Amino acid sequence: MKKITFLILVLISISAIGQNKYLTKTGLLAFEASVPSFEEVAAKNNSVTAILNTENGEFAALALVKAFRFKNALMEEHFNENYAESDSHPKTTFKGKIENFNFDALSEIDRSLTIDGSLTFHGVTKEIKEISLTLKVVDGKIILSGSFKVLVSDFAIDIPKIVANKLSDEVSVAFNFELVKK
Amino acid sequence: MQKKIIILAVIIVIVAIVGYNYIYQDHRSIENERAEFVVSSSEIASLFSENATTAEQKFLNKTIEVSGLVSEINTNEITINDKVFCQFSNVIQNTIKESSKIKIKGRVIGYDDLLEQVKLDQCTIIK
Repeated sequence: MKKITFLILVLISISAIGQNKYLTKTGLLAFEASVPSFEEVAAKNNSVTAILNTENGEFAALALVKAFRFKNALMEEHFNENYAESDSHPKTTFKGKIENFNFDALSEIDRSLTIDGSLTFHGVTKEIKEISLTLKVVDGKIILSGSFKVLVSDFAIDIPKIVANKLSDEVSVAFNFELVKK
Repeated sequence: MQKKIIILAVIIVIVAIVGYNYIYQDHRSIENERAEFVVSSSEIASLFSENATTAEQKFLNKTIEVSGLVSEINTNEITINDKVFCQFSNVIQNTIKESSKIKIKGRVIGYDDLLEQVKLDQCTIIK
């Protein structure tokens, strides 16, 4: 009996959550920290989970660090072992709220908004203010994209002197999520 | 004297080749690796939901084989029993149907606590 009540409660809560959530499991997140005239330092992750609550503009994203793919296999190995330390910090997350979000105001035309939130990477959480976003609705999907910059030094990542001049401290991050109603 | 120069040149060439192959080595080929663990989707999902940290230590970055029923198919992804999300590098042939039995090999990239799913990438279908 208890189990059944619990199950019903779970089902009700799931359906209640489900009503105004848009999500993707295959969002794109890319970063680049290249220095001109050295080999490019860039990676892409195309399996990012992102959820947007269309009632209040709350947004959450989760990327698995191991899913960042580099062109150069050795660079990928060094990124995982020495810099991101993905064995002990396998996830990077972002949580925030889109300012003045209004679902009904979205259309097929790009709309620029901003989001404030906190980014966690390598076990360090940093507040990021006013990331500019572009939102539009195409075929019932919300397409949310944008970019921002972060500093390697903000996330407690030690860069050895020998590679310091081949790696920019400023990292540009770009994202693109096609969110589907759940 | 000339002999020495030739030997030196040969050594330099060998070092250069080894060095180049080290710096530009190939990516792992998950498809050709032997699976370290063979599990069912519910087994691995419960290990991760009970204690993500110990499960991560055991499975992270390892090649595994997971079996179960297909719960969702997209162009590049298959979800098994709503619990294991498998991403493929290539488009999946459309012969696979929902709720059919499947066995997939892939690399564990981690646990998604937003959706409570284990994620694999570079997957291939075993059967």
